[in-house]
Amino acid sequence: MALQRVDAFRVAFDLDYAASLSDGEWAQVLASNEWHIMSAENADLLGPVMARFGSKMSVAAQAQTAPPRPIPEGPFQIIGKPAPRIHGFGHVTGFGQYSEHMTQPGMLFMKTLGSPHPHARIKRIDTTKAEAFPGVVAILHRGNLPDLYKDVRIGSGPPDRFLFSEEIFEVGAPIAVVAAASDHIADEATRLIDVDYEVLPAVLDHIDGMKPSTPKQWDNKLDGTILDITPPKIRGNPDQGFASSDVVLENVTTRSAEHHAALEPTTVIAKWDYNSDGRDHATIIGTFRHAHGARNTFSQALKLNQSQVRVITPGYVGASYGSHRDPTLVEIHALLMARMTGRPVRTMNTRAEDFITRTHRTPVRNESKIGVKRDGTIVAYSSKNIGDAGAQRGTGGAAFSTGLEAMYKIENLWQQEITVMTNSYKYSSLRCTEHPNNTLAREPLLDRAAYAIGMNPLDMRLKNLNLEANPDTKQPYNNSGLQEVIVQATDRAGWKEKWHAAKAKEVRPGVFHGIGMAAHSCVHGAGGAPSTGMVILNSDGTMTVVSGAAEVGPGERTTMAMMAGEVIGLPLSRIRISHEVDTDTTSDTGVTAGSRQTISAGWGIFEAAQDAKTQLLDWTVRKLVDDGKRKNPPETVTVTADQLDVQRGVIVYKDDQNKKVKIADVISFAGNPIIGKGAHIHETTWARMAWAAGVAEVEVDTGTGSIRVVKYTAAHDVGRAINPMGVKQQIEGGVIMGIGQALTETLMRDKATGVPLNPNLLDYKVMSIKDVPPVDVVIVEKPKNYGAFGAHGIGEPPIATPASAIINAVYNAIGVWVEDLPLTRARVLAALKNA
Amino acid sequence: MKGFDLHEPTSVPQAVGLLDQLGVGGKVLAGGSDLVGGVLKDWVTGKGMPLPTALVDITTIPDLHGIKSSGTGLTIGAATTLTDIIESADVQKSIPLLSEAAKTIASPLIRNFGTLGGNINQRPRCWFFRGEDFACYKKGGDFCYAVTGDNTYHAIIGGELCYIVHPSDSATALLALNASAKIAGPSGVRDVAFDAYFHGPREDVLTENLLKANEVMTEVTIPTPAAGTRMAWTKLKDRQVYDFAVVSVAVAFTVDAAGKWTDGRVVLGGVAPVPYRATVVETALKGQDVKAVAKQAAAQIRTVSRPMSLNSYKVDIAQSLIERTLLQALG
Repeated sequence: MALQRVDAFRVAFDLDYAASLSDGEWAQVLASNEWHIMSAENADLLGPVMARFGSKMSVAAQAQTAPPRPIPEGPFQIIGKPAPRIHGFGHVTGFGQYSEHMTQPGMLFMKTLGSPHPHARIKRIDTTKAEAFPGVVAILHRGNLPDLYKDVRIGSGPPDRFLFSEEIFEVGAPIAVVAAASDHIADEATRLIDVDYEVLPAVLDHIDGMKPSTPKQWDNKLDGTILDITPPKIRGNPDQGFASSDVVLENVTTRSAEHHAALEPTTVIAKWDYNSDGRDHATIIGTFRHAHGARNTFSQALKLNQSQVRVITPGYVGASYGSHRDPTLVEIHALLMARMTGRPVRTMNTRAEDFITRTHRTPVRNESKIGVKRDGTIVAYSSKNIGDAGAQRGTGGAAFSTGLEAMYKIENLWQQEITVMTNSYKYSSLRCTEHPNNTLAREPLLDRAAYAIGMNPLDMRLKNLNLEANPDTKQPYNNSGLQEVIVQATDRAGWKEKWHAAKAKEVRPGVFHGIGMAAHSCVHGAGGAPSTGMVILNSDGTMTVVSGAAEVGPGERTTMAMMAGEVIGLPLSRIRISHEVDTDTTSDTGVTAGSRQTISAGWGIFEAAQDAKTQLLDWTVRKLVDDGKRKNPPETVTVTADQLDVQRGVIVYKDDQNKKVKIADVISFAGNPIIGKGAHIHETTWARMAWAAGVAEVEVDTGTGSIRVVKYTAAHDVGRAINPMGVKQQIEGGVIMGIGQALTETLMRDKATGVPLNPNLLDYKVMSIKDVPPVDVVIVEKPKNYGAFGAHGIGEPPIATPASAIINAVYNAIGVWVEDLPLTRARVLAALKNA
Repeated sequence: MKGFDLHEPTSVPQAVGLLDQLGVGGKVLAGGSDLVGGVLKDWVTGKGMPLPTALVDITTIPDLHGIKSSGTGLTIGAATTLTDIIESADVQKSIPLLSEAAKTIASPLIRNFGTLGGNINQRPRCWFFRGEDFACYKKGGDFCYAVTGDNTYHAIIGGELCYIVHPSDSATALLALNASAKIAGPSGVRDVAFDAYFHGPREDVLTENLLKANEVMTEVTIPTPAAGTRMAWTKLKDRQVYDFAVVSVAVAFTVDAAGKWTDGRVVLGGVAPVPYRATVVETALKGQDVKAVAKQAAAQIRTVSRPMSLNSYKVDIAQSLIERTLLQALG
């Protein structure tokens, strides 16, 4: 039976397509990894489809308006106190088992032969020489792929992609995989495979892809390789708005392809064995950031059901933030190779393979226009965002910004997003998907307007803030910290003293000081379904926290332990949370993406701990009553659960803390460990937004074009900082990545051949520790009713402000606009010459 | 990575004998951060650049380690690590230019393992040369992809056929210090001044210097600079650790009591297929008050620059850095 694959991404943009789906197809959509990703990363984009097809999605429960939950006010024992990462010792000493360290008896090593061409058809594959190479065990390619898997498609089309495609659409697309006795043997053997390619015309640039003359690569109703052109989103009357403005300004901002450079390259160990009833069973250990989502993908691709697939993420993972996001072909090939050879198969990407075959944030071009009054009021704003989806669409759109023009009062708005497929790096999220781009489209333009009317950019922002509600959905904001982040970031950075007219402060011959700011909002950190967790109170009174939230760097498993401990009343020293996530022993709590786990997994654990605590106190009451009965003479004990509490690991009477009961004694009395479970239903009262502001101070050398960031100040509304140490690290990390992308990072391809030029850590220039400026972190806490303990997630937003703040600071320093990322010396010097 | 045999000779004649015997299949290993960690790992190979089947490790030769001081100068063994050079009191005292240059190479980890000989003789960083799928002139192919492709970091001076820039910081400093190399081969030992050691693509596009496959660079000699020699080093890179020069400048010169240039050298890295001696700048400085004419002398670099489509910014940078490095040397 042919597997009719449904395009989950298309469901979000094409309501007619969504309407055409059968119930079975809806089930496929909802189980797909893509849908998980989109609900996590682009919940804002799903509004229209949710509104119309909510019943298909079983989200009726989610749509109910619940009365606001009271936010726990403390005082807290654990929450709000800096806690080192629970598994930090394993991370920094090497005691932690990364996938790379793991072995299996009889393990084979697999390497992939990738296409050197960005678009080609495979005419012939000859593996004779490779098969004869000593140490080679098996080779798998489209010629010998079992029939069962020939119709399996993976990823989001168009165009379609199979496990081994005849037509390939990007450099690095797998042609064959070799399993051998060592990595080096497999590597050498891949070079002995002869492949005849018919090279086809490639589209290497998204602007070229929009031309009517560009050859189509699939049955496309739009020009060239355009995937989507959204109908413009219009608010008010944009034309009239611009006409009635005192000043109208336009700009074009661009960003290039950026890569995560996760320290640990993609690594998996795959095993194929059989259940005792003879059914196939596949196990895979590796660098995944959503074990349950990966299980869905593997079960669909291998035609197994979910109970036949086990996915383990070790928890020691060299970061994700979007890389290692969705399982790719290499993991499925490893499983098939394990099936074929009957031996465990390990494959580990080289650095170049990770750069080329994993996903990226790909290039975007924003054409924006703003109209303002002389008093600084924003009257109209328009933006056309053209995104390069690369060879494989990885989420909604490469440039989508729908629903984000929500932080300023903009009465007249026009926005359109165009997404174009190219035969280049595959698109996906990189510490957020498109939100930083939306900020790039808007914030430098806002500064242009402020300078044009002679207004301080800070005052202009404060004048236009929207603190109440999303202007389109009318959903209210929940205790918005937007004003606070802007005020506190600029106060802390000394904005009032340091801001000056453009090119007014030469600090050394030819070197100019500048300061610039940017504000940001996005939907990340909001959380959402699924949202589950479990805690177990053990017989000695300690607790095991069980969560399916994959640890990929942000420290969420420490956060889970802290939340559970706070709810129950146990110190962290008596709480265990494993580093790994195993689909056989945890429940799905969604993908570690969208900065969602603090709230998603957090609520699951919060409710599980509450459940356990209720049971614990209930058993305590029974035990106290029973203890009374056993006394001689018997006593009638009258106590209710609400008279009791747990503090620092001991059950006490609230009104007399000297009356104590040991947790272990209660569990012994109960005769079973106490199991608390949580499955949280998220209410939909509020527009859940992240609020951020950043201030960059720079020195620009007009002799060399060098930009040095002297200091960066970042303020974020995190609702409530569960672990202030973790929050600070997230913000520092995001800001550092953001500065690197602003100044030096760009993943390049040869324009003639489409071959990657710098897929290595030497030429793709991630900042070194010596390049990192002091980052001053301002944590703003405005607790949210929708967040566990009032928290809002923080993983992604910190990457969003640096590029815009630095562009604005560079203008303040040298009086010219450089708005193409990265802000290279060549671009700075050229802008100075053209000024 | 392709498999290879490893030889660990303990004397120079033994190493030369092995290389002579191995022919094109043999290569000198002098640290390996480029040869093994780069060329071999990334399959940098082509018609004119076969991958070696055997490596001859010269760091196992005791004679090639260490820094010796004599009345006339310093002699540094080719297998001496960059860290040893940085930490040498003799180098710091006599030729601080070399210490400063060495400090800016790569990262502490690589400097602990990388050697002077390896640094001087490493292959260029051009991304087309390094890319497995580009059959460029330097690998025996028939095209220079930098001419039509992205040449942001390529040569602005002296490119012909091939537009690589020479990657070695130590070589740039050594040329400014008028150093020479000792080379051992099957027919004996010869001394070659760095002035004559490097060659551009027109001379031989497959190599960057005159070292033959069966030869070993054994040591480098730096003559004691004249008393009062002014020296300075500047290396501009995209990040502060683990990066090659966008442009680097080494200056070593003497001035008279009035501050006028008497003799010296201005050498640039990152701009040409060889460490580039900017004689046009030196000529403009001759007999002049260095401080007064530094700016206009530096501007002379424009007269010899022929930037490519995307790298004219390097000419501006070279000019700024020459001026600043001259002034920095004056103190």
